Amino acid sequence: MAVGISGYGVYIPKLRIKRDDYAKAWGSFSAAGVSEKSVMGYDEDVLTSAAKVSRRALESVPLGPDKVSRFALASTSAPYIEKLLSGTVVVSVGIPNSTFTSDHTTSTRAGTEAFIAAAEHLAANPSGNALVAAADAPRASMWDSVEHGLGAGAAALVLSGENLIAELEGYASFASEHFGERFKTREDELLHDLSVKKFSESSLINSTTKAGTSLMKKLGRKPEDYQHVVIQQPDARVPSTVAARMNFTDAQLSSGLISKMVGDLGAASTIVGLAAALDASKVGDRIMVISYGSGAGSDALSLKVVSERRATVRVQEELDRKEYIDYVKYLKIKGAIV
Amino acid sequence: MAHVSVPMYWRTIPQRYRLVGQKCKKCGAVNFPPKGVCKYCSASSEFDEVQLSGRGKIHTFVLISAGGAPPEFAEQEKAGGQYPVAIVQLDEGPKVIGQVADADPKEVKIDMPVTAELRKIYTEEGVIRYGFKFVPATSGK
Repeated sequence: MAVGISGYGVYIPKLRIKRDDYAKAWGSFSAAGVSEKSVMGYDEDVLTSAAKVSRRALESVPLGPDKVSRFALASTSAPYIEKLLSGTVVVSVGIPNSTFTSDHTTSTRAGTEAFIAAAEHLAANPSGNALVAAADAPRASMWDSVEHGLGAGAAALVLSGENLIAELEGYASFASEHFGERFKTREDELLHDLSVKKFSESSLINSTTKAGTSLMKKLGRKPEDYQHVVIQQPDARVPSTVAARMNFTDAQLSSGLISKMVGDLGAASTIVGLAAALDASKVGDRIMVISYGSGAGSDALSLKVVSERRATVRVQEELDRKEYIDYVKYLKIKGAIV
Repeated sequence: MAHVSVPMYWRTIPQRYRLVGQKCKKCGAVNFPPKGVCKYCSASSEFDEVQLSGRGKIHTFVLISAGGAPPEFAEQEKAGGQYPVAIVQLDEGPKVIGQVADADPKEVKIDMPVTAELRKIYTEEGVIRYGFKFVPATSGK
């Protein structure tokens, strides 16, 4: 039985800071291709954002929260290190307390990790409905150049066996050992990156191409079979580097390349990118999604669009709704000066 | 600080996280926040739970500026500046107090349509206190 996406919802916080404001403060801006990025308000976090996109995704089907039989939450910047996170969202949205939930939090691969967990639930429970919410606003020290690109955003997907917008054709993964890029030890509140760019990038390229290539081999697909390709977006340049290795073109990347306007969305990067690709897609289009998480792993998903129905709130509307802040205001909201 | 203990806050989670109200079994009026005895007929303490839509209109509002914020909101005011607090008339009838987020304080107006969503209210004893705030209805639910 076919399973896939029956609804989706996106939220981009309305505050933005431009790359020029970083350049004024620091003399440079380290996130290639990112022209501005989104910033969460003082009273928001990944749980309030996850609650918002969960409601939006359910309304887009529409499906009552009482029908959700599996909930998977993904984020690398949860407000608590120990404490159930999904419970906050479940109670706020009205998802039954008996629903099995899981929190995916240890790398930016978490978004697709949650997606695959939801797909496995449907494989075992064909009449179920799974809700996947990915919300992230990663934090690093203002002294760390990795901080420049870090944005904020969220997306949720409803996975079901009926009423599909896009059918899940298959998925594949790659996991291995790598270190020195983007990590947070038990003692840290902020993430580190040793800034050995080529070394980190080689892991990202290796993991994503392995996961993507093995999925296409499994499904008997060629790069040109896909109209939309969404690759993890730590900045707006890396996806092109990966795409070139896999014989994808920049044209295939364009619909899902949201990092130009919002920055690095961490665990939500590929899920928000997928929502943008769905918004732009036509019936019959194929979408490839390839995530990456430091440490290192990658998941690839292949989807085929089967319906013209789209979410009520478009990604473009979320990108257009914005208010600019300067770097000083940004530091105040982030609480960077203690 | 207007101290609300952790157990007291916890008991009110359904109303704070998703606006669960109560409908009086005698007169049918919707009470929010939930009460011991119906606020409208004063003759019944029997209720059915109702899920409120979160939609409503600003009945009246005030802007809180520097020095005017209660201590638990002082840091929010310092980081984000002036913020509106409104009495909102919900579609189901009750009037409730809440902050208005994601709106330019200068553009908040009486009768403006708003919708409730989950936000961080403040943090006390290391525990994040979530609850509803209102946002302009145009920014969706």
